[in-house]
Amino acid sequence: MTARQQFIATLLLGVAFLILFRQLEPSNYQIGLMMRCMILMIVTIGLNILIGHAGLVSLGQAALYGLGAYVAAWLAVKQGVQFLPAVIAGVVVTGLFGAALAYPTVRVRGVYLAVITIAFGLVFQNILVEWLPVTGGTQGLIGIPRGNVFGVSLTRPIYFSVVAGCLIIAFIIQYNVIHSRYGRAMRATAQSENAAKALGINLAATRTLAFVISAALAGLAGGLYTFLNLFVNYETFTFFHSVSFLLMVILGGTGTLVGPVVGASILTYIAEILQDLQEWQIFAYGFLLAAVMFVMPQGIVGTCGALWERFVVKSRGRETHGWPDGSVALAEILGPGEESKQIALETKALTLRFGGLTAVDNVSLEVQSGTVHALIGPNGAGKSSLLNLISGFYVPSEGSITFFGAGIAGLPSHELARRGIARTFQNTELFGQMTVLENVLAGFHSHYRNTLAETLLRLPRFGREESQFFSQARQLLKFVGLSDFAEEEARNLPFGHQRRLEIARALALRPRMLLLDEPAAGLTHGEIEHLKKLIRLLAGHGITVVLVEHHVEMVMTVSDHVTVLDYGRVIASGSAAQVQKNAVVIEAYFGHGRVVPTRSPSPVLLDQPGAAE
Amino acid sequence: MTWNFWRSKSCAFALFAGSAFALSLSIAPAEAQKAEPCIAGSWELTGPLAHTGLAIKMGIDAAVDEINEAGGVLGQKLRVIAYDDQGEPSRAVDNARRIGDRDNCIIMIGGYRTPNALAIRTVLSEMGQPWMGVISAGTRVIEWETGANEWMFRVSMKDRWVAPFLVDHAIQRSKTKKIGFLYEATGWGQGALVDVEATAKAKGIALVGKETFNIADQDMSAQLIRLRDAGADSLVFWGVDREADAILRSMDRIGYKPNIISAWGIGVQLGKTAGQLTEGVVVAGTYAWTGDLSPRAQKVWQRIKASNKLQQPSELVLPSGTANAYDAVFVIAEALKIAGAYDKKKLRDAFYQVKYQGIVANYSPAFEKTAERHDAILPSYYKLLAYHKGILLPIEQTPYAAKF
Amino acid sequence: MGEILQYLLTGLSLGGIYALVALGFFIMWEATKAANFTHGEVYMFGAVATVVLVERGLPFLIAAPIAIAAAAVIGALIERLLVRPFNKEPNAIGWMLTTIAAGIMIESFATITYGPLGRPLHSPLAEHPIRFAGAGIYAQEMLLPIVAVMVMFGLEAFYRRTTLGRAMRAVAFNRTTAGLMGINPNRIALIAYALAAAIGALAGILIAPVVQAAPAMGALIGLKAFGVAIVAGIANARGVVIVGICYGVIEKLIEGYISTGARNAVGFTLMILVLLLFPQGIFGRREVVKV
Repeated sequence: MTARQQFIATLLLGVAFLILFRQLEPSNYQIGLMMRCMILMIVTIGLNILIGHAGLVSLGQAALYGLGAYVAAWLAVKQGVQFLPAVIAGVVVTGLFGAALAYPTVRVRGVYLAVITIAFGLVFQNILVEWLPVTGGTQGLIGIPRGNVFGVSLTRPIYFSVVAGCLIIAFIIQYNVIHSRYGRAMRATAQSENAAKALGINLAATRTLAFVISAALAGLAGGLYTFLNLFVNYETFTFFHSVSFLLMVILGGTGTLVGPVVGASILTYIAEILQDLQEWQIFAYGFLLAAVMFVMPQGIVGTCGALWERFVVKSRGRETHGWPDGSVALAEILGPGEESKQIALETKALTLRFGGLTAVDNVSLEVQSGTVHALIGPNGAGKSSLLNLISGFYVPSEGSITFFGAGIAGLPSHELARRGIARTFQNTELFGQMTVLENVLAGFHSHYRNTLAETLLRLPRFGREESQFFSQARQLLKFVGLSDFAEEEARNLPFGHQRRLEIARALALRPRMLLLDEPAAGLTHGEIEHLKKLIRLLAGHGITVVLVEHHVEMVMTVSDHVTVLDYGRVIASGSAAQVQKNAVVIEAYFGHGRVVPTRSPSPVLLDQPGAAE
Repeated sequence: MTWNFWRSKSCAFALFAGSAFALSLSIAPAEAQKAEPCIAGSWELTGPLAHTGLAIKMGIDAAVDEINEAGGVLGQKLRVIAYDDQGEPSRAVDNARRIGDRDNCIIMIGGYRTPNALAIRTVLSEMGQPWMGVISAGTRVIEWETGANEWMFRVSMKDRWVAPFLVDHAIQRSKTKKIGFLYEATGWGQGALVDVEATAKAKGIALVGKETFNIADQDMSAQLIRLRDAGADSLVFWGVDREADAILRSMDRIGYKPNIISAWGIGVQLGKTAGQLTEGVVVAGTYAWTGDLSPRAQKVWQRIKASNKLQQPSELVLPSGTANAYDAVFVIAEALKIAGAYDKKKLRDAFYQVKYQGIVANYSPAFEKTAERHDAILPSYYKLLAYHKGILLPIEQTPYAAKF
Repeated sequence: MGEILQYLLTGLSLGGIYALVALGFFIMWEATKAANFTHGEVYMFGAVATVVLVERGLPFLIAAPIAIAAAAVIGALIERLLVRPFNKEPNAIGWMLTTIAAGIMIESFATITYGPLGRPLHSPLAEHPIRFAGAGIYAQEMLLPIVAVMVMFGLEAFYRRTTLGRAMRAVAFNRTTAGLMGINPNRIALIAYALAAAIGALAGILIAPVVQAAPAMGALIGLKAFGVAIVAGIANARGVVIVGICYGVIEKLIEGYISTGARNAVGFTLMILVLLLFPQGIFGRREVVKV
């Protein structure tokens, strides 16, 4: 069942269920309970996006929910504001706080972020209790007038539809965000920050978006809650409730589409059942949380999905095709290559120091566009550091870097990616839990033109761009021979395939320059031959390729120009033939007991008249 | 795969519109029915103040058992249903709905906390559900700002009457006539602030200090230093045992020993934890089970003792609450007899005609049709208790009885 | 004059609690890069278990060590059952939820069996306060910062001088490599959690005579101490104790001079701001990770 089918099916089932529910003539109490359940589903949907997709754990969601509730309540009680503007104000204020909460993610992650969200929740709670004139202190705000929209009083039956409508909208928003470049960007930032940056994804912006969406949904839920309960009180928005929301997300299935709905409804109704346990209620609650973690960490929907995959989905035979596939029209995907020969990359006196260690020492080099330029040298020579400098992962201590004439030293990686510098990594940094196709699509991220609004509303341009990039992504997969693996999760690929995928993903950036960090490592002899062909193809297309490699034989046969580094300094630079004969190079590699690791069965081609000292 | 989202989007919208239409056409809620002979309460049965819920339930159970043994009311035996709200107002609202709507009990009994009682005001009047408070002494629970309370009654104290009761005693005990007010940062304490300030104003005295503290605070030296420096030698106190213990210790640390005249948040527990530090602390209440009991009260105590496996009356940690709850059930039973049926509206109307001698007071009548008189216990029945040698006794049995 | 001295004294005592509990977080984090959200409940357990044993007739000096030992066992169990299975990947957060769940269960179980009310624990040091210059403090309370500092020195000596201590530091630095050196990281983790729990329980026992032992006493202390540890950078024992004691004093000063009610809001906001300024904590090291 595809995601879209799941989405539509859930929507239909949900609406049918709600209609059926009303037909059964439930009591006021039951209607109230169902409405509260739906409101909590809205919160959970937002939290699911934050945790399940952006990978940011927030233990302060109850505070955002409470903020939306209190803003709406205060406006209604103290300022006489109507339902619609009050709720909308709640959403806006909460969204702003969500953006503020995203700011720390720039600097802290994981547990540190969790602590900040916990602290935020406790601060909010304290303010609620202390700011008597505004929040009503511990008593809260009572006597909220019933909502009124265009003269229609929101009594229970009508309000039920309003809440249901909001839930449906939230559910649609969730789907629309997740299955779009924004959702892919969120998952990318969660699974590999470095790769995401290198593809032009702005981490801070993506995380802020995730926070804002989840906060806005929590704020909406809060506003709806206010007009349901007709009073707000700090005890509904405590740390314990933040933990409950987390439990709902996990119980349902973190990151799944239907998970939040399932989790929220189960927990709401279980709370009803737990009432009978009296003193043991809270204990049972904790026990449930622990049990879910042990038995079903993927949640109900996640576990069902996994079982479905295992028992129902028949594994298809996957065929690995040859690469590079010359039939793929690169020009269509990558655009026209560079026409004239220019200096693509130039560094002048580039230096990088880590404390006392100088990793890159006064490196000046020039790379011509459309050529293959290799960086070689013994271990610790500074090759990867140099690559990281060029791709914006390190900031140089001294010196300059220019890319097609423009200075780029110190620019962040995602900015460089947008300027056309793509790279692969020494330890393949794939987005492991995304499919192969999605990995490549993530590469196209910076080329999308459609906006968030178009994505949320699914306006025509969204559909067009998705079609276009999907087909181009498939073309790139065909180029590297991975067409059959499109729906496979990247982490399940064999190693050589992962390498290919990383290159395909880097190509999706439509780069002007491609940096390859030890692309041949771990590849078989045959795969290396294919790799060489691919590199030459790309160069022929006008893409500048800079590669760091230990595999000397490969380097010598594929490169136009070779630069040799040792101890961070350039010790030789020239054509492959020249460098091979260079005495300094030979000493660096073979002299004084150092050995160059090579995986090639054929001997290293070096002229060495009695080199041993 | 074609991404024809227009189709799926329109589809979704059409569904939404259709269902919204269908949903709004739905049937109205179920009609009101005859009520059940159950007495239900939303009490704090778990959490740090769980002893309060249990104390109330003890009084209710004792009364209901006694009534059922005599044949019940109107030929039916009464049932007690207990819901736990963990002290949270929103849970109290839920429970109120359960009780009024799902269980359809003839009457709901209130719990310990004023904020919870305040929270359910609206929902009770929407449902037309009679409610009987037995503690939650906040004035606004019964006397609404909008003046529209029709369903909530109380056999308990009223903070607006407690305030002058306590302030009087504080002034009498004070040598410098400088009074301070120390209250917990909850709906109850914050509500009492209003009542105490009004009292002070009416009597023409100024409170030299008003300090608040949070639940679970363990050190109040900052507040006490300020009160001490303002010269207060008598403090009116609105808080519960746990924080009172911390306050007594904070006072001990800084060597500040004012008179403490407290509302009934302080109970028997304080003596167990603070020991000698409690000497002279005066507490308001409606009843004391320690000391001499009337014959009827003796029997009630024996019943409670047996049902709950207690040894001493001092184990009743909320003496006033248990006594109020006991009387409240009998008042309800009397009203039911007058009403002649298990009908919520008839019961409510019958309340104004109840005359009954309880263990706390002689209710004659219990209620009147004024905003003020939905409270059954008049200030003349308020009592003072005092701590002497670690035990809370009626003040007459201690050296601290007012000699005026 | 008397005021600020009073705030300092009570702040030192409160800070001592934070320091001891935060030290526990430090020890656990070093060993497993995970924290134990139950830690506040272990603090409570120390106090409550001692009270129960003393009520049964055991002298305090026997009851306390038994309670501490029991707490150590609980700590080890938590590591083995709740943290280890959920800490396999580098960025796992499962342990957060399992330990929160355990914390909820422990506290509610205690509330049901022990009762929600606080019970006194007698100690001669908590009977009469020591008063001078207008301020007063129970000797019992001063035990806390003193014990915190002693434990800090003890830990530092332990880490530096004993084999086991060095093994624990190795595991903290790099689990895999330590494993390759023959150190069993799992055993180290167990010991670390047991040690941390013992220290936490000790803090609870020390303060119980002053604040009464009640099931609800641990939750907020645990959260605050965790924040303290994070703000200190969970880098070394000294930093954690310094930040803990400072935070206690700052809280009291906030109470005294700004607002008693808002002390949590102010305190936690401070924590957030400090974390933004020092993303690795005040004493933490900035790690440069190879790309």
